[in-house]
Amino acid sequence: MNILVCLKQVCEPETAFSFQASPPRLRLPDAARYQMNSFDEYALEEALLLKERLAGVRLDALSVGPVRVAAVLQRAQGMGADRAVHVLSEQDSEALSVATWIAAWAREQDYDLILCGAMSQDAMQGLVGPLLAELLGLPLATLVVKLEPRPAQRMYVEREVEGGWRDCLELPFPALLTIQSGINRPRYPSLSNLLRAKQTRPFAIEASTLPTATSRLELVAENTPQRTRTGLRLQGSTQDKARQLAAMLRERALL
Amino acid sequence: MSTELARSVVVVAELRQGQLAPVTWELLACGRQIAQAAGLSLRAMVLGEAVREEAARLAAVGAAVCALQGPDLAQYSGQAWREVLAAALPSLQPAMVLAAHTTQGLDFAPGLALRLGAACLSGVERVTQEAGRLLFSRPAWHGKAQAQYASTAPLTVLTVQPGAFAAQAAAAERAAGSLEVRTAAPAAGPVRSLGLRRAAEQSAELAQAQVVVAAGRGVGKPENLALIRSLAACFSSAAVAGSRPVCDAGWLDYSRQVGITGATVAPRLYLACGISGARQHTAGMQGAGFIVAISLDPQAAIFNLADVCLVEDLTLFIPAFLAECGPAAA
Repeated sequence: MNILVCLKQVCEPETAFSFQASPPRLRLPDAARYQMNSFDEYALEEALLLKERLAGVRLDALSVGPVRVAAVLQRAQGMGADRAVHVLSEQDSEALSVATWIAAWAREQDYDLILCGAMSQDAMQGLVGPLLAELLGLPLATLVVKLEPRPAQRMYVEREVEGGWRDCLELPFPALLTIQSGINRPRYPSLSNLLRAKQTRPFAIEASTLPTATSRLELVAENTPQRTRTGLRLQGSTQDKARQLAAMLRERALL
Repeated sequence: MSTELARSVVVVAELRQGQLAPVTWELLACGRQIAQAAGLSLRAMVLGEAVREEAARLAAVGAAVCALQGPDLAQYSGQAWREVLAAALPSLQPAMVLAAHTTQGLDFAPGLALRLGAACLSGVERVTQEAGRLLFSRPAWHGKAQAQYASTAPLTVLTVQPGAFAAQAAAAERAAGSLEVRTAAPAAGPVRSLGLRRAAEQSAELAQAQVVVAAGRGVGKPENLALIRSLAACFSSAAVAGSRPVCDAGWLDYSRQVGITGATVAPRLYLACGISGARQHTAGMQGAGFIVAISLDPQAAIFNLADVCLVEDLTLFIPAFLAECGPAAA
């Protein structure tokens, strides 16, 4: 069985951003640090659990982005992925472009299962997985919190839905699943795997050599979010702020 | 221009247990705003087994409603929804299709957009007009920025964030819209639905608490939850809650999770400790009476919806606060 896991590299949530005026865009600091999208870590771990359980699984990890995303692929190999595929693209691309590139790669392979994170931590769009399934004509289950292979090339999955309910489905292979956080506990990379990964280079493809999707959206501006409340920032020492907060809560009879 | 006028905004209603989900009324409000701004007609589609009555409730507030009924639509299925909607929507000449940014909308909308050759934008929170164009805002960069998009496609599928638009109640002055009922029978696809299963009970203590003290990833390590608990102990009716990452890590039980996939709470006071403020979480607590946010990250998204913001280290601030409200201070 061949499994593909799609991984995104995201900047750390605590990154200190600034905004530039023209065009209005958010700017990342040069020293920004990056990590594997946490939802994708759960997808990767789920693939590794399948690999341990089933015989003859080859696990490919793929990431789209600039040179720096090789770090995410290395981590994936450190966790146990067999091969790394890097689709090189300089700019931050819209979801449909990313899905189109991954589809171009996947069509030439023979994947029985494709796993994506439910969304990315930074953009939170949740689009690449479902778009990729549609492009490849694969059965789709999103927000999966339980996955069990069943006999006769089928699998049982549970999707997390609102109000504490699970939507239970049975799918054939091949299929695409988007994985919800919390489905497992992602492992740490092993030192021996990491050392091995450092000796190999990911299979690299220039996105410009792949078919592209016509852009359907124009990013007009990125700016500071709307504020819904006053957002009073307390000032002073930690003790001063604690005193102010206690006073405010007493005033409102909350304390 | 005459063909432009005939085009529509189509709201795809969401049902839960056979009834219109509250978010449907919010979609209708968003749809009406777009329809008025762009000179489009407002339509709605309702899918289900027997949905004439629910469809009539939407028609009563002025939308032209098309109900698609059939035994195979009794329960939500992404595969069936995409097929039925892709077949039925073109007859309504949509320029915009609106679905809820929920586990249903997120599941069917992207694939549907591709089938219709449409642009797809998810998690939209605001619609504005600039230089004759509609701009759609959604959170970006961990919620620390708002990104505004314009569509360059003739048809756009949006998923709309629950809670972002005020639900629209029936307005007496509006004439009722038309109601058309069609039968739909999607083909049997490869995905088999096995029904819904109840997985998690929500904490009754959490639902009833006057004060909720919530822990986020910024708590750092599970040992620091003791600080959160002692903070909660300062209040007479307080419960401890957590954001999704804290529950995913096993630090708190999922019954304590606040957010879209957990509990929605509206206590008098909400103390967000080390919570970044992802929509997944804030959708479950934005109705709280008074919101205090404590985070080391001065740009944390949670500060945009807090009444009081504290850029502080929890391990230092909470002990200082306890000293202020402990028995010695009283």
